[in-house]
Amino acid sequence: MTTNIGNRRSFSRSVLVAFVLFGVLFPGLAKAARPGASPVDSAPPDSSAPQVALNITNAGPRAIEALTEHAVLRDYKFAWARMSQALETNSPDLLNGLLEGTASVWLSDEIKSQRRAGMNSRCLNQVHKVDAVFYSPEGDLLELHDTAEYDLQISDSGKMIHNQHVVVHYVVLMTPGADRWVVRQIQSVPQF
Amino acid sequence: MSWSINTRCSIRRQARWSLVAASLLVLAALASAQDVELRVPSTVTAGQAAAVTSSGSGRATFYLLGPSTAMKRDAQLGEQILLPAKELQAAGRYVALMCTDTCSSAAFFVVAAKPASLTFVAHPSRAPVAVNDVISGVALPFDEFHNLVLAPQDVDFQMSAKGGAPVSHKVQTKDGVAWFRASSGKTAGPLQVQASINDVIARRVVQQVASDPCRLRINGQRTSKGIEVATEPVRDCSGNPVPDGTIVTFTAKGDGETSTVDAPVKQDVARAWITADGPVVISAASGVVMGNELRVGGGK
Repeated sequence: MTTNIGNRRSFSRSVLVAFVLFGVLFPGLAKAARPGASPVDSAPPDSSAPQVALNITNAGPRAIEALTEHAVLRDYKFAWARMSQALETNSPDLLNGLLEGTASVWLSDEIKSQRRAGMNSRCLNQVHKVDAVFYSPEGDLLELHDTAEYDLQISDSGKMIHNQHVVVHYVVLMTPGADRWVVRQIQSVPQF
Repeated sequence: MSWSINTRCSIRRQARWSLVAASLLVLAALASAQDVELRVPSTVTAGQAAAVTSSGSGRATFYLLGPSTAMKRDAQLGEQILLPAKELQAAGRYVALMCTDTCSSAAFFVVAAKPASLTFVAHPSRAPVAVNDVISGVALPFDEFHNLVLAPQDVDFQMSAKGGAPVSHKVQTKDGVAWFRASSGKTAGPLQVQASINDVIARRVVQQVASDPCRLRINGQRTSKGIEVATEPVRDCSGNPVPDGTIVTFTAKGDGETSTVDAPVKQDVARAWITADGPVVISAASGVVMGNELRVGGGK
């Protein structure tokens, strides 16, 4: 009887040690194997990476070529990722080369004001449904209508003061740069 | 025993009352915290001051986050908070927050003011004459704070060439953009292209240049240096002289041999020297146009 209990204890200890070792050696697998993992552990892979879908069927008068479509999608998505990062960390340098003109000036001003006030903001879980509505005859100007959904979090000195899921409509102007499409204007509107 | 029961009852009653009182206090605190109501204007025109009001009383912190601003200031609940025009220049969505223990929020939009400038792009910088839909222009109205004006505006596109009557075309902006496409005129020279909204005007110049040569005629004669061959003034189908540098290719055939020489047009004429002793047949071509054939006899 005593022997049995001892065996059971040593078996449990072995299982525990094996589990701990497994966890140390393969942390990713261990997390995935745990069904009741905590919300922090089971956070989405990257909640700041925007999801962007681009529809070009309504663009005109010039048709958007496939290569242009891919480039615009890539560059617009990247611009949003960087904009979010810049607003979160109050680093206007992150916008270099992606935003130009008014878009760059406005966002830089917002970031500088945030920094002065000790605030920052985050745009999490972004989903963008983007329609290209105008592509100029010479291909040097593109207007997008972006219906963006995200969780807007505003913090003051690290304390969250606002957390709201918002749907915002953006009118965006993009122009081709040397090696990418740059955002020149990004203006939110009540509706399209 | 009876005393003991009374005491227990009274303790229970006291505990119940304490619980009720505590609950009421919590509810009151929650109610007072959630009662702060922010009233913001539905829309504000860019560059105009606005006011935000709140209900309640006591000290609070006010925040405003917009497309080019983030501000924080102490505020008194129940009093009007003035938002200076300088803070409301960028069009877009603004979030106002009033925080005590908890925060209340409200959003409003700033919309563009009236057009103060036109971004106007005209293409191409040089356009051949008499070509359909070769000239295009895109105009975008912006207000004085560089906001894109999205409310429909009538843009008047006007094109005028030297000596010709101006041609006007009105287009209403859609989503902040107006555009046109037009054919080039028949005369080479500068074409003034203008876009205007009331007194806001943007001007561009498109240089209309001759199209491809329309017909080629060549003349030639034997000289001591060889055969000098030259075109008559080279013009397009509208009669405009083609630009200098347009290449004319001369081909000479004779004695079973063919030789070619490229000559640029200079002051309307292309000229070349061909060395051949025997009789030759010389022809000329430029672009898709062939010229006449010229027969030159032998030099001996």
